[in-house]
Amino acid sequence: MNNEKKILLEIKNLKKYFPIKGKGTLYAVDDISFNIHEGETVGLVGESGCGKSTVGNVILGLLPATGGKVIYDNINLVNLSRKERLPYCKKVQIVFQDPYSSLNPKKTIKQILSEAFIIHKVGNKDEVDGKVRYLCDITGIEEALWVKYPHELDGGKRQVVGIARALALNPSFIVCDEPVSSLDVSIQAKIINLLIDLREKLNLTYLFISHDLSVVRHISNRVAVMYLGRIVELAETDDIFNSPKHPYTEALLSAVLNIDMTQNKEHIVLEGDVPTPINPKPGCRFAPRCRFAKDICFKDMPELKEAGEGHYVSCHLFSEK
Amino acid sequence: MDKPLKNVLEIKNLSVEYHTDFGVTHAIDKINLKIKRGQAMGLVGESGSGKTSTALSILRLLPRPAGIKTNGEIYFNEQLLDSINEKKMQKLRGNRMSMIFQNPLTSLNPVFTVGEQISVVFQNHYKMGKRESLVRAGEMLEVVGIPRNRILDYPHQFSGGMRQRVGIAMGLACNPELLIADEPTTALDVTIQLQIIELIKELQKKYETSLLMITHNLGIISELCSVVSVMYAGTIVEYGTVREVFMNPQHPYTIGLLNSLPKIVGERNKLTAIAGSAANANNLPEGCKFYPRCPHCMEQCKKDFPPFIHLSQSHSAACYLYEDKSGGKINE
Amino acid sequence: MSKKELIRRIVRSKFFMLGFILVMIIVICILAGPRILPHDAMTMNLSDRLISPQWFAKGTNGYIMGTDALGQDLLTRLFVGGRTSFLIALFAVLGGSVLGTFMGMLAGYYGKKWDTLIMRIGDVQLSINTTLLAIVIASILGASVANLIIIMIISTWVKFARVLRGEVMMIKNKEFIHASRVLGASNFHIMFRQVLPNVTTPLIVLISQQFGQIILLEAALSFLGMGVPMPQPSWGTMISEGRQYLSTAPWIVVAPGIALMTTVVAFNFLGDGIRDVLDPKMKH
Repeated sequence: MNNEKKILLEIKNLKKYFPIKGKGTLYAVDDISFNIHEGETVGLVGESGCGKSTVGNVILGLLPATGGKVIYDNINLVNLSRKERLPYCKKVQIVFQDPYSSLNPKKTIKQILSEAFIIHKVGNKDEVDGKVRYLCDITGIEEALWVKYPHELDGGKRQVVGIARALALNPSFIVCDEPVSSLDVSIQAKIINLLIDLREKLNLTYLFISHDLSVVRHISNRVAVMYLGRIVELAETDDIFNSPKHPYTEALLSAVLNIDMTQNKEHIVLEGDVPTPINPKPGCRFAPRCRFAKDICFKDMPELKEAGEGHYVSCHLFSEK
Repeated sequence: MDKPLKNVLEIKNLSVEYHTDFGVTHAIDKINLKIKRGQAMGLVGESGSGKTSTALSILRLLPRPAGIKTNGEIYFNEQLLDSINEKKMQKLRGNRMSMIFQNPLTSLNPVFTVGEQISVVFQNHYKMGKRESLVRAGEMLEVVGIPRNRILDYPHQFSGGMRQRVGIAMGLACNPELLIADEPTTALDVTIQLQIIELIKELQKKYETSLLMITHNLGIISELCSVVSVMYAGTIVEYGTVREVFMNPQHPYTIGLLNSLPKIVGERNKLTAIAGSAANANNLPEGCKFYPRCPHCMEQCKKDFPPFIHLSQSHSAACYLYEDKSGGKINE
Repeated sequence: MSKKELIRRIVRSKFFMLGFILVMIIVICILAGPRILPHDAMTMNLSDRLISPQWFAKGTNGYIMGTDALGQDLLTRLFVGGRTSFLIALFAVLGGSVLGTFMGMLAGYYGKKWDTLIMRIGDVQLSINTTLLAIVIASILGASVANLIIIMIISTWVKFARVLRGEVMMIKNKEFIHASRVLGASNFHIMFRQVLPNVTTPLIVLISQQFGQIILLEAALSFLGMGVPMPQPSWGTMISEGRQYLSTAPWIVVAPGIALMTTVVAFNFLGDGIRDVLDPKMKH
C-alpha cells in the first residue's frame, strides 16, 4: 500500500554526535534510516535521550548532521548553507512543542503570521494581509486575535498560531515536535483534530514526534520506535501496537497506563534508569535492560531488518529468521 | 480486632482564594471530600482546576500572603485542623500526613545528601539522634529500591526517577496516615513512571496509607485508586468509584474529558474536543463553572451551582441534567 | 500591554514617579533656568566675589545661591554647568548604548570567537582605570567636550555589551527564534527584528542608570581637571574650584555637590521605576 506512494523524504544513515567536554561523545542519533511517503504520518516515539527531537532538528537544518543524508526532491538537505536551504524552507516546516516560547512575545499575532512573507518578500502589504487571512481561515483563528499578543491567548490558541505559521509558505512536509505535550488534556484533542483536518485538506505529510503513545497511535500511519539514538522497530501503527516485536516496544506499550477496566494488565517493568547515550557500550543499546538478552546482544549491534510485511525490527531475536 | 474505618481526611465546603496585584483568583469553591483509612482517591483535573491548591490547603501550606482559605473546614482523623496552632501542624506534617511533589529536580535540596534529608524527618518527629536516623534513612532507601549506601550521595547524582523515589522515601518515612502525591510522575519518562506507580501501589498497600493522588492522567488513577473526584475550575463536578466514573461518566465535563482522550487500544474514533477555552480562574461565571462549554447548558445552570445528584450509593455528579436516584439521602 | 495597564503600573511605582518628577525638575531647571536668571555664567564680576546665598531676598536679581571666587552667580553656573553635563551624558549614552548593544548582540548571538573577542576587549578596557584612560586620550587628542564624549562612550559601551550579550544568549535558544530560522530568516533579520524587540526593557533601564553614572564620571574627571575645559562651568569643575574655600564659602562646593547627588539618585530611581513599569515580574 505504502510502496505505491511517492517517497517524499528519505533519511539515510543519519548521524548526529555531540562531543561532551571531559566525558566523550554523545551519540544522539546513531545511524538511522527510514522513508516517509507522501501524505503519510510517521510517528517517532521514544523516551528522553532517544534522539527523536534531534532527528527533527537535523531535518530542519537547525542542527548540522555529523553524517548521513536527508533527501528531499533529490537534494540532500543536510548541512546546506542558509541560502542553499532557502527554497526548501517553503517545503519543510516545523510545529514546536512549547506554545509559550514558540511565539515572539513582543509581536502581535498578525506580525507573527506575516513574518514568513516578509522574509521571502512575497507580495505587498495587502497581499500579505490576504495570505494571513487565509491562514487564519483554515486554522480557525478569529480576526479579532490579529492585534493580540501571545500572552493574551491561552496555550491551545497559541499552538494554533504556531501551526498557522508553519503553513504560511505552503509546505508539503511538517515536523511536529511534541505539539500537544505542553497542552492540557482537553485542549490536546482540538489540536490533534486540527492537524488531522489540515492533513486531509492540504495533503500534508507529517513526522509526528512524541512520547505520548496514545496520541501517536491516533494520528500516525506508521510508527518508528527509538531507543538511545537507534530505531528499534518500524511498522504500521496497528502492527506496532497490536503485535510489537522488539522487547523495548513491548515494555513501552506495557507502561502506558490506560483506563480500560476490562483489561487486567500485567505490566512489564523495566529495571533501572533510561541510560544516557554518552559513550555507549558495543552491542545492542537495549541489552542491559532486556529480559531476552543473549551473549550476542552485548557484542553486535543488530540491524534494522524486515521481520514481517513492512515490519522492521532491530533485534537479534529476529535475525535468524 | 478490626479498626473502625473512620475518615482519615474530610474536607467540608472548602474555598480558597489568591489575592494578588492582579485581582482575586477563586482557586477553590466549596469542595467536599472524604478519604477513608487505607483508601486511595484520585483527584483529576487540568491546570487551573484547583487540585494543587487543595493539597496545599490540607497541609496548610498555601503561599502567603496571597493564598487565603476563605471558607470550610478540614478534618484530619476527625480533628479540625484549623483550630490547631502552627507548631502542632508542624508535628503533623511529614509525620502523620505528607506530600510528594511533581518536580524531582526542585523538591530536594541540592546542598544536602539524600541521607541527611531523609534523616531530618526522623530527627524531627521521632527525636532520633543523628546516627540512628541515618541508619533509618538507609532502610527507607532500601524500601524504595535504592541501595542503602547511597545515603551519602547528593540529589544531582540521581536520575529523575530515583529522586522521586527519594521523595517517596521521605514522604513515607514516618508511616503517615495520609500521603498526598501531586503529579509525581508527570516529569518522568513513561517506563520510569511505571516503576514509580508500581512502587507507590506496593507501599500504599503494605502500610495501609491513605492516598490522595492528584493528576490529570486518568490511567494512573485507574491503576492506583479505588475512588476518584473530578475537579473543574475549583469545583468538584463528579465523584465515585473509579469504575463508575470512568466507565459511566455522567457530568458533561467528565464525559467530554474521556471522549477527548486518544486511546491506546480499541477503536480510533474521532476525538471530540470540549468546546470553548479553559476556564479563567480570575473571571469565573456564576452558577455552574462549566456552563460556557457545556453542550447541555440550561438557564438554571447559569444561576446557581447545581446540587450533587446521587446516581448510586457512591456515585454523584453536580449537574441539573439528572434526578436523584438514591432516595435523596445525602450519603458520601 | 494596554495603555490602562501602563498607567496603572506607572502610578503604582513610587520609584518611577519620584525619579521621573525629579528628572523633569532638573531638566526644566537647567533648560529654563539661565533664561530666567539675569546673570551670565562666565562673566567675572570681582566686586561680587564670595557672596553667601541670599536665597530670595533680592528675588532673581540677587545671588540666590551666592557667588564663587570670581563673582559669578552660582545658581546660573549650576544650571549652565548642568546643561554641559547633560549634553555630554546624552551623547555619551547614545553612543555607548548603540556601540554596546551592537557589540553585545554580536557576541551573544554568534558566540564563540566573536564572544571571546568582544568580551576580552571589554575586559582589557575595564582593567584600565577610566581616569588613566581619560588622561591618555586627553593627552593624545587634547581636552575638549567632544573628546570627553569619546572617553565616556569608551567607558560605557562595555556595560551595555555585557548586559545585552546576556539577554541575547537567553533569547537566541527560544523556540520562536528557531521558528524564524526554519522560515528562512537571515541572521540579520533575526537579530534586529526578532531579538532586539525583546531586549528593549533591560536596555532602557540600563540607559537610565548609565545616564546618572556618566554624569558622575564626568564630574569626577572635571574635578581632576581632565574634563570640561575652563571656563565652561561643569559641576565637577565647580567642586574643584570651590575646594579651597570649603571653610569660608562652603556653598560653592555644596551647591554642585547636591545637584550631582540629586541627579544621580533621580536617574537611579527612574531606572528602577522603568523596570517596575515594563517588567514587574520580580514583585512580591
